Amino acid sequence: MLVEILFYIFATLLVAGALGVITARNPVYSVLFLVFCFVNSAAIWLLVEAEFLAIVLVLVYVGAVMVLFLFVVMMLDINLAEIRQGFTRFAWLGWITALAVIAEITGVIWRNGLGGVDVGRGFVSEPANYSNTLELGRVLYTHYAYPFELAAVLLVVAIVAAIALTLRRRPGLKVQDISRQVAVRAEDRLRVVKVSAEKRS
Amino acid sequence: MLNNYLPILIFLAIATAVALVLLTLGSTIGRFFAREPADRDKLSAYECGFEAFEDSRMKFDVRYYLVAILFIVFDLEIVFLFPWAVALGDIGVAGLIAMVVFLGILTVGFIYEWKKGALEWD
Amino acid sequence: MPDTMMNLHSIAAAVPEIYLTAAICIVLLFEAFVGAKRPGATGTLTLLVLVVGAALTVAYADVAHRVVLFDGTYVADPLAYVLKLAGFLAVAVALLYSRAYLQNRDILKGEYYVLSLSALLGIFVLISANSLLTVYLGVELLALSVYAMVAFDRESGVAAEAAMKYFVLGAIASGMLLYGMSIVYGLTGTLNLDGIAVALSAPHNLGVILGLTFIVVAVAFKLGAVPFHMWLPDVYDGAPTSVTLFIGTAPKLGYFALALRLLAHGLAGVTVDWTAMLAPLAVLTLVVGNVVAIAQTNIKRMLAYSTISHVGFILLGFVAGTVNGYGAALYYTLVYVLMALGFFGVVILASRKGFEADKLEHYKGLYRRDPLLALAMAMLMFSTAGVPPFVGFWAKLRIIQALWETQHLWLVVTAVVMSVVGAFYYLRVVKLMYFDEAPESLPDTVRSFGVRFALGVNAAAVLVLGILPAPLLDLCARVIH
Repeated sequence: MLVEILFYIFATLLVAGALGVITARNPVYSVLFLVFCFVNSAAIWLLVEAEFLAIVLVLVYVGAVMVLFLFVVMMLDINLAEIRQGFTRFAWLGWITALAVIAEITGVIWRNGLGGVDVGRGFVSEPANYSNTLELGRVLYTHYAYPFELAAVLLVVAIVAAIALTLRRRPGLKVQDISRQVAVRAEDRLRVVKVSAEKRS
Repeated sequence: MLNNYLPILIFLAIATAVALVLLTLGSTIGRFFAREPADRDKLSAYECGFEAFEDSRMKFDVRYYLVAILFIVFDLEIVFLFPWAVALGDIGVAGLIAMVVFLGILTVGFIYEWKKGALEWD
Repeated sequence: MPDTMMNLHSIAAAVPEIYLTAAICIVLLFEAFVGAKRPGATGTLTLLVLVVGAALTVAYADVAHRVVLFDGTYVADPLAYVLKLAGFLAVAVALLYSRAYLQNRDILKGEYYVLSLSALLGIFVLISANSLLTVYLGVELLALSVYAMVAFDRESGVAAEAAMKYFVLGAIASGMLLYGMSIVYGLTGTLNLDGIAVALSAPHNLGVILGLTFIVVAVAFKLGAVPFHMWLPDVYDGAPTSVTLFIGTAPKLGYFALALRLLAHGLAGVTVDWTAMLAPLAVLTLVVGNVVAIAQTNIKRMLAYSTISHVGFILLGFVAGTVNGYGAALYYTLVYVLMALGFFGVVILASRKGFEADKLEHYKGLYRRDPLLALAMAMLMFSTAGVPPFVGFWAKLRIIQALWETQHLWLVVTAVVMSVVGAFYYLRVVKLMYFDEAPESLPDTVRSFGVRFALGVNAAAVLVLGILPAPLLDLCARVIH
């Protein structure tokens, strides 16, 4: 019972946060609302006992991805007023589309139900020593080894794409080459010249 | 299992309550007792005693993002390592091989970014 | 605990993917260590990699029956074999055509080749996907590589804008796909496409329509069907022509496989529903693609709308909902990829350093300047228009036959009328090339022998396959079963 109540609390906050993301005028607030959404989603995942995913969501998305988002949004040189101009001109179209989609989703569920799935079925709670991380590890590297390796390729593609699109070598930059500095020897820099002594006149 | 997380829930509830109380106190009692809520000098921008010189938004070097993106990629790699370390006893050699291949592919990416000089800041 | 330590023999069918992953690593390392010293070497290595890959595919991946590997996440069948060979071929030809173009625009970098290989891997993953998870990973692998390729020319503002549009809209489509997949997963309790097909064959599956709708939208977006086509002309136009050539060809094989595996196999239980959704999309796609193409003055935009209209034909094959329909769609996809390689290849060859041959008027009098290129383009345009001795005719005929068999008379009428409308703007290109005078002195076309020879073979293939259509038609009919 407590779980159901908590679910509805977090779900309501999640939807409210999501609305905040798309209605906030200031993109910084949008990102902060998104952080709020992620935290609430993590709480919902925790309620279905997917603790590892919940923690990863907070660590990776809130901790790293959203920080990057904030970074971009706060630092970028964008004129907000200019972007907002003309946006509201087509807002009615967006509203109509959104309402149509909502109406259709409701209509389908209203008419057809969810088919063979018993939505009201209770949730079986796991014992206290259940480890979601262990269960995930058991299937991820064996059953799902193929998608797992593909994930590695996907990450490499992200590296390559990021480097190909942003890395730029400026020619003629004066930089220290530390290994060359260290490797320098006395005879490279210093020439000892034997000079025969001159006679005093 | 969820019982393990009960302390966090309680913590969350108390934290929310404290935050709400403080906000309410600040916005009601504080406003009520404040002498001049909208003083001109109080509302002016403070930057070492000067007016702000320029907008805080500016062109920013794209390399910051590159470093951040590269960080996220390897952050995710660590995420994948975690359940593997927990379950390694159960999944045996198959799991080991899967992870070696995974790390091998990412190491190639790492060598590439190293050689390309994406980790250097010149 | 399933023992997934498979012996090497059993995963032989997955050689194309394994090889390609290894090849991506090798090319990447080669680029890191040698690339800066020798700019073109990575490209040569990549072509070699593709040829070896095709050979290995012929040697190992030619399976007689359906083989399911990696705990049901991977499937190898004759269809996958044919599509993968076509993928190797299409990417190799595309990279061959674009080399001089890349050099002229200072974007001849190893990353371009690495990204095209990873895109090809994404296409292969889609072709061999047997689980919602692998479908999604394939879509993302392909899309991520292609976004980066579109933005590859960093000096070009248009390309950056195109990449941005593509990325934002593509991300929305991915979201739709994931949302639909999560609903289907929630209702069937399995990620495996075989499992989903079994679960949906039971009668109580009406709720799945909700998930199906989102999946259809995502597939329509990826293929570029109206009204989810907005990105396509801008991306084709804004991207460097070599990238247009790339994204106009090989990815279509992957997205065809996406539609086939997801809709025709996994969601076969609700075929009636998704054909009903695809039919209006297909008609809209045909009409908008062909009619808007007439108004274009930019050849890349015109070919983009022509792509949209061809997508309409491919979707019509799915609308038929029969094995013959899918076979016709497969044939159409393969033929389209062949023709697209050709006509985008001509656009590339007509461009020089500092000059993009992207306006229709740049093709005026091409016959006098370069008769061979004009002839190749004319053959390709006739074929694309569906004029009889060429292969494009058979492709259209097959689709129409499949629709006739399933009594979709209105769709047959639409398809025929729109083919006639489409013929207008294809033949206009021929008219410009042969009967118009060149307005001013345009730069010469590319005269490199190897590339021109390849393009000649490409154009000749359109004619030869049109005169002898039986082998490819039989192949398509055979592998689709």
